[in-house]
Amino acid sequence: MTKSNITKLAGIVLLSIFMLLVPVFVKNDYYMLVINRLLINIVIVLGLNFITGLTGQMNLGTAGIFALGAYTSALLSKNLGISPWLGMLAAVCMGLLIGVGLGFPSLRIKGVYLSLTTIGFAEVVRLLCANLNDVTGGTQGLRQIPPFSVFGFKFNTQQSVYYLFLVIALIAFFIACRITYSKWGRVFKSLRDNVEAVEMCGVNIASVKIKAFTLAAVFGSIGGSMYAHYMGYMNPSTFNTDLSANFVIMLMVGGIGSVVGNVVGAVIVTALPEVLRFLGTYYQLVFATIIVLGAIFLPNGWGDGIRRLYRWIRKKCVGQKTQEGGAENE
Amino acid sequence: MSSLLQVSNITKRFQGLVAVNDLSLTMEHRTIHALIGPNGAGKTTTINLITGVTPLTSGEVQLDGKTISGLPTFQVARSGIGRTFQNIKVFPSMTLLENVMVGGHEIAPMGILKGLFNMRGAQKEEKLLKEKAEQILDYIGMYKWKDELMENLPYGRQKISELARALMTGPKLILLDEPAAGLNPSERSELVKVIMKVYEDGTDFFLIEHNMDVIMKISSKITVLNFGSKIAEGTPKEIQNNDEVIKAYLGRKYQAQSQN
Repeated sequence: MTKSNITKLAGIVLLSIFMLLVPVFVKNDYYMLVINRLLINIVIVLGLNFITGLTGQMNLGTAGIFALGAYTSALLSKNLGISPWLGMLAAVCMGLLIGVGLGFPSLRIKGVYLSLTTIGFAEVVRLLCANLNDVTGGTQGLRQIPPFSVFGFKFNTQQSVYYLFLVIALIAFFIACRITYSKWGRVFKSLRDNVEAVEMCGVNIASVKIKAFTLAAVFGSIGGSMYAHYMGYMNPSTFNTDLSANFVIMLMVGGIGSVVGNVVGAVIVTALPEVLRFLGTYYQLVFATIIVLGAIFLPNGWGDGIRRLYRWIRKKCVGQKTQEGGAENE
Repeated sequence: MSSLLQVSNITKRFQGLVAVNDLSLTMEHRTIHALIGPNGAGKTTTINLITGVTPLTSGEVQLDGKTISGLPTFQVARSGIGRTFQNIKVFPSMTLLENVMVGGHEIAPMGILKGLFNMRGAQKEEKLLKEKAEQILDYIGMYKWKDELMENLPYGRQKISELARALMTGPKLILLDEPAAGLNPSERSELVKVIMKVYEDGTDFFLIEHNMDVIMKISSKITVLNFGSKIAEGTPKEIQNNDEVIKAYLGRKYQAQSQN
């Protein structure tokens, strides 16, 4: 027991040293950009997990949530000159509104129809952003969004943003873990399996579903706010249906319902195409093949695959040790 | 003292079809009340009407003197009614213990935000829920399977686990919708044992069942439905010898058997 605790502790220490040293080794600005985008994606996928992963409501409107969070935060801090942090707070409020707004239809419509509704929501948001020229800058996009700052220190280099986002992503991870492995995670999961039975346990399904949507929307809006203040420029064409689908793919690749799986999925879908760049024009083909092979051989996601690999290695090691011990005794 | 469950003149019409027609029944405290009748007689509809899953066309349902008709299902459940389903409704991707713990979601009062900030409180609550679930599983004799995934358990076990889940809220009354359907004889006798044990410890039952052995063994009062209307009510003995019930449901053969 203590031994496994030590291994765990060592793992955590190694992982945190690794995370702290990333900017020291990665000198290339483009790679740092990918890594920072990865941290944003992690936050969003952690949120999406509540509604699509645990509660099983297929939400294909993440781009809409992301866009509303980004525009809310960017416009407020740019036009009113308030701190980006207050902008992020406003994005959180926006997330609460979206959560309730999307949660209510989900009580009446199910399955494919809900997916279509969420796609519709995302498209409406994108078109509004593109056409409200006076407010959002239209298809020209929004420029000069102020970066995050703390007591005058501006997060305007890739390295400093990395540490900031790392902290935010870790907090999001911690919160997601706490909720997923509590009675709330359990009741979300049970809603995916059987709604009527949950209702007969005295659970107000409407409120639980809206809570799941709200969590997803709040995480998504925070991601949007991070994106806006990090990039400094954005335009509506970013927030298309491909983006929404991409988040769902991250969720599926990593393993539905598992928090660690979400992170693994976000890492694979964001970083693997970059790793495969050396293949030139073939990289998309190879990437797609890897994802499909993953879906066939690791139906529970890459996160589950990694866990199984870890268990297998440990079993091998332990097995060898007991054999050695036996030999010594002889 | 008012009766436990008072159903007064409830009617349910699905467009032209009258599923339940002007049904009244009274269930006293400390009884096991059975509802029997041929297929399509409106038994499950009656349970759905009591729990508010289907809205009433007219009539009233009272639990312990309080009107519960018109309330949404989750509030009916909170007012002290538990239920199991005819076609099992469990959570197959979760373990048995988790299944039972979902039943206790409402007895742990902490909200999401509060649970997030008050870590120790949330932990304590979780431990309490877990202990209670384990206690109930032990009570109905399924403790050894607690970490099994629900989908890996046999049908009969899944069915009994619904009863465990219903017990988590500590209800006054549990509605059982065909608890013995699909169970083999040994599972059935175990089910009867579990039901009697729970009954003796203070929970009353209202059950629908087609298996006459189970019905006649445990119920204190039987109501017979046919085409949505009540055709007879009484003790098992009276029902067995009621001509109309024999004609509509039991059959001559059954009467001959039971008299032997």
